[in-house]
Amino acid sequence: MSEQATAVRYGDLGLAVGTPEIKSVGPIAFGPDGILFVADNASAAIFALGLGPAGPRPDSLAYDIEDLDARLASRLGCSRGDVSIRDIAVCPLTKEVYLSVMRGNGSGAIPVIARVEADGQVVDVPLEGVPFASTTIEDAPDPGDERIDTLVLPDDSAEGEEFKTGSGIRLRLLRDGLRTVTVTDLDYVDGVLLVAGASNEEFSSTLRRIPFPFNGAAQSNSLEIFHVSHGQYETASPIRTFVPYNGGGSILASYTCTPIVQFSLSELEPATHVMGSTVAELGSMNSPTDMVAYRRDGEEYLLVSTARLPLVRIACADIDGQEALTEPDEPVGVPREALDHPGVVRMANLDEGSVVMLQQDGAGPVSLRSYECASL
Amino acid sequence: MSEPRRIEIELSTAEGSHRVRLLGLPRETLRRLGVLGERELARELPVYPRERLDDATPGFAPMAGRYEAGPDAVTFVPRYPLVPGLCYAMVVRTGEGEPQRLAFRLPLAPSEPTARVLAIYPSGDRLVRNQLKLYVEFSASMSEGQAARHVRLERADSGEPIEDPFVPEPELWDRDRRRLTLLFDPGRLKRGLRPQLEAGYPLQEGVAVRLVIDKGFRDADGNPLREPFERRYEVGGDLRARVDPRDWEFRPPAAGTAEPLVVRFDRPLDHALLQHALEVTDDEGHPLRGQSEVGPAERSWTFTPAAPWPPGKYRLAIDPRLEDLAGNSLARLFDRDLERDEAPSNPSRESISFAL
Repeated sequence: MSEQATAVRYGDLGLAVGTPEIKSVGPIAFGPDGILFVADNASAAIFALGLGPAGPRPDSLAYDIEDLDARLASRLGCSRGDVSIRDIAVCPLTKEVYLSVMRGNGSGAIPVIARVEADGQVVDVPLEGVPFASTTIEDAPDPGDERIDTLVLPDDSAEGEEFKTGSGIRLRLLRDGLRTVTVTDLDYVDGVLLVAGASNEEFSSTLRRIPFPFNGAAQSNSLEIFHVSHGQYETASPIRTFVPYNGGGSILASYTCTPIVQFSLSELEPATHVMGSTVAELGSMNSPTDMVAYRRDGEEYLLVSTARLPLVRIACADIDGQEALTEPDEPVGVPREALDHPGVVRMANLDEGSVVMLQQDGAGPVSLRSYECASL
Repeated sequence: MSEPRRIEIELSTAEGSHRVRLLGLPRETLRRLGVLGERELARELPVYPRERLDDATPGFAPMAGRYEAGPDAVTFVPRYPLVPGLCYAMVVRTGEGEPQRLAFRLPLAPSEPTARVLAIYPSGDRLVRNQLKLYVEFSASMSEGQAARHVRLERADSGEPIEDPFVPEPELWDRDRRRLTLLFDPGRLKRGLRPQLEAGYPLQEGVAVRLVIDKGFRDADGNPLREPFERRYEVGGDLRARVDPRDWEFRPPAAGTAEPLVVRFDRPLDHALLQHALEVTDDEGHPLRGQSEVGPAERSWTFTPAAPWPPGKYRLAIDPRLEDLAGNSLARLFDRDLERDEAPSNPSRESISFAL
């Protein structure tokens, strides 16, 4: 698309040129037309940034970059310890790797979106004068919902934020700053942004569905997803990471407490008691960090990275054929294989034939490497 | 013939940005640089954090920023502020021969630790074995990414640390980053899950524990705490029952007085959720103005109206998400035995009616 056509397209998608007030960057994911979704947990919002038009595709689609964190430190003018890489995503148009990065800590922390160039240079993406849109990730304000922890303010109040309700009423609301939602993962499937988050107060498992383009009138809805351990106990828990597969029809999610749970996106209706099927457990004191789906020899596979165990591969065909786990020890769920890629913390599909991984051994340097699906 | 001048760096701050001025360049060099674009200037005068320069790794991009070439100096304005105390270097490639490296740094401003821990919740002295959360309240805004290193849970008798009791990430904070939620690893609390079977509960009934926040926990300005903080808890048995307002003791005030409404719970409830889960309304659901307060050990709640209670009908509205120490709420149990316990209810608001 030409620059002009991209600008028109972004306008159609509700993006307006300006400077997004991003306070922090967390999970990121690409949507249509080179739009990057960025979760900002400090301001409880998701930003859609128009990063197009598509540049030329690099000749080589392979990455083998050592010292990614030191490269970022060089560009951002800080020490390596002040660089915190939060997530990676690959632009489907250019196949370039983007990173969400926090530079520094505390009140001096600066959110950065960075791009890895083909020659290994890492550059920060200017966030002034970019097409963008944003939406809130807290409970959508609905005057009919008595459970909102918000205070309605007079219209002329300088405090709070303005919201437009489904019926077009404008309200100024002061949100309770104590209760927050921290986005743990997000993904875009067919016009809908799926957002998993954890509350700092109540213990729950909600998956928000936010239609894109963002539209104040269209309420985002939340699905509460439970899982059963071994046919006996049912609980909810925050979703730590998830991945759509099967063309977006199914979701594989991993909870903070490590069971891997499958559910079908098409069966999900708002305000229903959704029961996911527990297909595997990862074991104790181990938290999942990321998941990715890919195809090899016509079959679909999933990779799950965890804090302490090796990278795990699961065949999707095995998930679909798996009965929900009923016993804690035997069987242990779907067959899975350990891969010998050490220290994988984040993953993303580079293209149909390869997966890119962010790897770090302990507190050592961070590297970015791509692997052909045929080797995974 | 003029003396060869010494080139040097001068640091200043203008309009909130640091400015790195390179002084002492020969006039002809300044004239030449004056017609160059930013990219060329970045190539001739790149700036790096000093430690990156010592890596001597090609392909590292120099610091982001803009250059201004003037009649007396070339000024570099970094896009990201210089970090006080960190050493930087400008590599000057304008002359003949070896490039020169000019080091500079902002002084580290002396600062006193001021932040401290105000409280740890629950404020009672007893946890349950399947305790789900603790809250740490700080006096100031804090830095993220500190909890795993500077918060520990240990046995009160021997000081032996309890291994990995909490979920390490994401760290859960309020908007101002003054209240940290410590979530016990739910995999070790949920019956039947492998982490529970393999590693067991983080807490043991009858074994007292101590939560320690050490001084190294950094505030938002990067300063350590004024002093470490610790809190001892006894540990009781499991708590596995839904929160049921019918078990609460309810003491309505007398009409015409401004006496508080007092609600006593059958068990301690979650400190954070209690801040907004209860509300007194009139018969039509309009909230009453007044002051609410959580009682000692989160076992009671009082509401003092702004004006004396007129006779009439009232309701205490209760958010069904209100949890106890083990994460059981009005709506559901933390983990439900499918054979024995009833299914979660729809999360609609519950209320207790009373007339004065």
